[in-house]
Amino acid sequence: MLAAVAALPDDVARVALDLPLRANLSALDNIALIPLYQSHFDATESTRQAQAMLERLGFAGIAPLRDPDMTPAQRFATQLARALILQRPRLVIDRPGAMLYDVPYPAFIRQLAEQAAMTGTWEIYDFSWNQPLYNQALDSE
Amino acid sequence: MNFLAASIESLGAKVTGWFTVGYGIFAFLAKAVLLLLLDRTIWNRATFDVVIKQVYFTSVQILHVFLGYALVISWLIITIILSTARDFGLTEFASEMTIRVLVLELLPFLTALFIALRSGSAINTEIALMQVNNELDALAHCKVPPMQFEFLPRLIGGVISVITLAGLAGLLALLLAYLSIYGLSMAGFEPFTQTFAKIFNLQIMAGLIAKCALFGLAVTLIPITAGLETPKKLFMVPVSVLRGMMRVFFAIVAIEVVSLALKYI
Amino acid sequence: MNTLHFKVGLFAAASLLLAGVFLVYLLHARGFFEDTVHLQLAAASADGVAPGVPVVFSGIEIGRVTTLGLNDNGGIIIHTEFLARNAKWLKENSSFTLDKPIVGGAKIRVDSPDLNAPALPDNATMLLTTSDVSKEIPVLVERVKAILANVEHLTRKDGEINATLANVKTVTGRMTGEYGVLESVLGSPEKARAVTDSLDKTRALITKLDGMALKMDGMATKADRWLFASGGIADQASGSMAQVRLMLTDAQASLKKADALMANAVAISADVKEGTQDIAKLRAEIDDAVRKANALVNEINKMWPFARDPEVNLP
Repeated sequence: MLAAVAALPDDVARVALDLPLRANLSALDNIALIPLYQSHFDATESTRQAQAMLERLGFAGIAPLRDPDMTPAQRFATQLARALILQRPRLVIDRPGAMLYDVPYPAFIRQLAEQAAMTGTWEIYDFSWNQPLYNQALDSE
Repeated sequence: MNFLAASIESLGAKVTGWFTVGYGIFAFLAKAVLLLLLDRTIWNRATFDVVIKQVYFTSVQILHVFLGYALVISWLIITIILSTARDFGLTEFASEMTIRVLVLELLPFLTALFIALRSGSAINTEIALMQVNNELDALAHCKVPPMQFEFLPRLIGGVISVITLAGLAGLLALLLAYLSIYGLSMAGFEPFTQTFAKIFNLQIMAGLIAKCALFGLAVTLIPITAGLETPKKLFMVPVSVLRGMMRVFFAIVAIEVVSLALKYI
Repeated sequence: MNTLHFKVGLFAAASLLLAGVFLVYLLHARGFFEDTVHLQLAAASADGVAPGVPVVFSGIEIGRVTTLGLNDNGGIIIHTEFLARNAKWLKENSSFTLDKPIVGGAKIRVDSPDLNAPALPDNATMLLTTSDVSKEIPVLVERVKAILANVEHLTRKDGEINATLANVKTVTGRMTGEYGVLESVLGSPEKARAVTDSLDKTRALITKLDGMALKMDGMATKADRWLFASGGIADQASGSMAQVRLMLTDAQASLKKADALMANAVAISADVKEGTQDIAKLRAEIDDAVRKANALVNEINKMWPFARDPEVNLP
């Protein structure tokens, strides 16, 4: 099943441990790369969009931080913002437990999902023994 | 007999290895050049900004250190050439000798070594770490082309930096040579201009710029390909840097030797 | 304001400015902004001249050879090119000399004795003369050798001087004999002529050696100019020249002494005894001169090895 997650088609945005942020760029620049290189917006517009995305997730303050300076939650939020700004119809979160090891992550993800208020499906793939955690926090999303 | 077979086999493995490396480098270069020439979309503000950043890190940041170093080296070499020329009564050849040795050969070579040591090793390590950390895969997943975003700006930055720094160091050496030979007067301007005109013809200028461009390419292209070859294991990063820098050194020496051979043979 | 962009911008602007200045200087130096003046030089031989050979005035390059060719009469025509700013040194009374120094490449030297003379027109044709230090030295050595051979010839066992000495002996014998002084001088006109002849020869030889010494002086100053002002080969070369000169002066002094003795002998001093002693001394002096002269030839050959062997010993 894990191999299947890695081999998902192109129209799926993934948040996963094996897709890290670019280490020498700030959170904002990491996100701004996507509009800059995919939609060919100019630097100002890309940065504005990235900042807006971070604000929507409630993490506006982490914009200048780089990967090693972030907490796991901040890092996850940045990766999520990067995946969201890709604007692909499906979003797959691959084993969030590995990335969010110091927060009750099902509730955290649910909170982020509410703030993002994006169209499209979010799918979470996780180990089956973590199922009880989700049952406490949310129904299948 | 077994020993002989084993030696031949290991030689064959080495030659194949060299060919693979060489092929990898040239294939990468061809890809970069084709992209640069054919894909109009990369000529945008974003690429330009990254190029500027690379030029800043490879040349502007170290400009004062580099010029100081060029000054000391030039001053030493000019003094040695002048005193030797005086000892042998060949003063009239001193300015020509200075220009040929310093401006055309030594300073471009030292500039390339300088950039290779400082930026080449940094690039090699960075690309190797990106490769090991999956950062390149992440970029690929986000459809951010690493060639355009990471590699091409480094190549362009390297070429620009080596040409500019070697040029600046050369100008500094010319000035220093003039001051050492004729002092603070305009008296030597005419003979110096004559010597200068005699040495710098179109071929020499084109050769000098081409050589600097090749140096710039060698000190960035080879570390990038060496970094990309790194297996996804953290302990392989130093090995990758070691191999990359070794290749850079050989490439720089080879370029210098070929340029000398073309010029004087 | 983005400081990174500002710094890179400053760097780029400064570099481009310097590159521009360099390019303008390069074009200026190569005469891009100027007209060129052409000059043809007619020479007997194109030996050592090739396109690119510099034309120098007072040691500074003012032009170069562009092409070489033969004219209809089989003479060599050398085409040279000058920048307009350098053409003012070419006057109608300028002389053009091909210099082939021992060290360094050939060059064409321009000497303009009168800078107020009218300037040479474009495409004028001038004569190129050759002065070649490496050619002149073997010639000089040959001449020294010839002179010394002459000295040897004069002093060989049955040569004129010996004969003269024999004559002198007879004369002095006669002086002591019954014929008396006057008769001994006038008694045999042929013998008297032989004495004067060989004396004349000796004198001529001395004049020649004097000339040689002068020539050597000239050579030394010339060599100073051809080679480099001070140090290295230059010192060794003029040192050798000085030594050759010294040796020649030595030989000359010896021969002068011989001359004086001969004169003394011919004057027929009243004191016969002193006269015979003088003749013995003369013999020894001339032997000495010949030995020294032979040594001189060897020395010259040793000191100028390029006469046979092109190797020049650097210090």
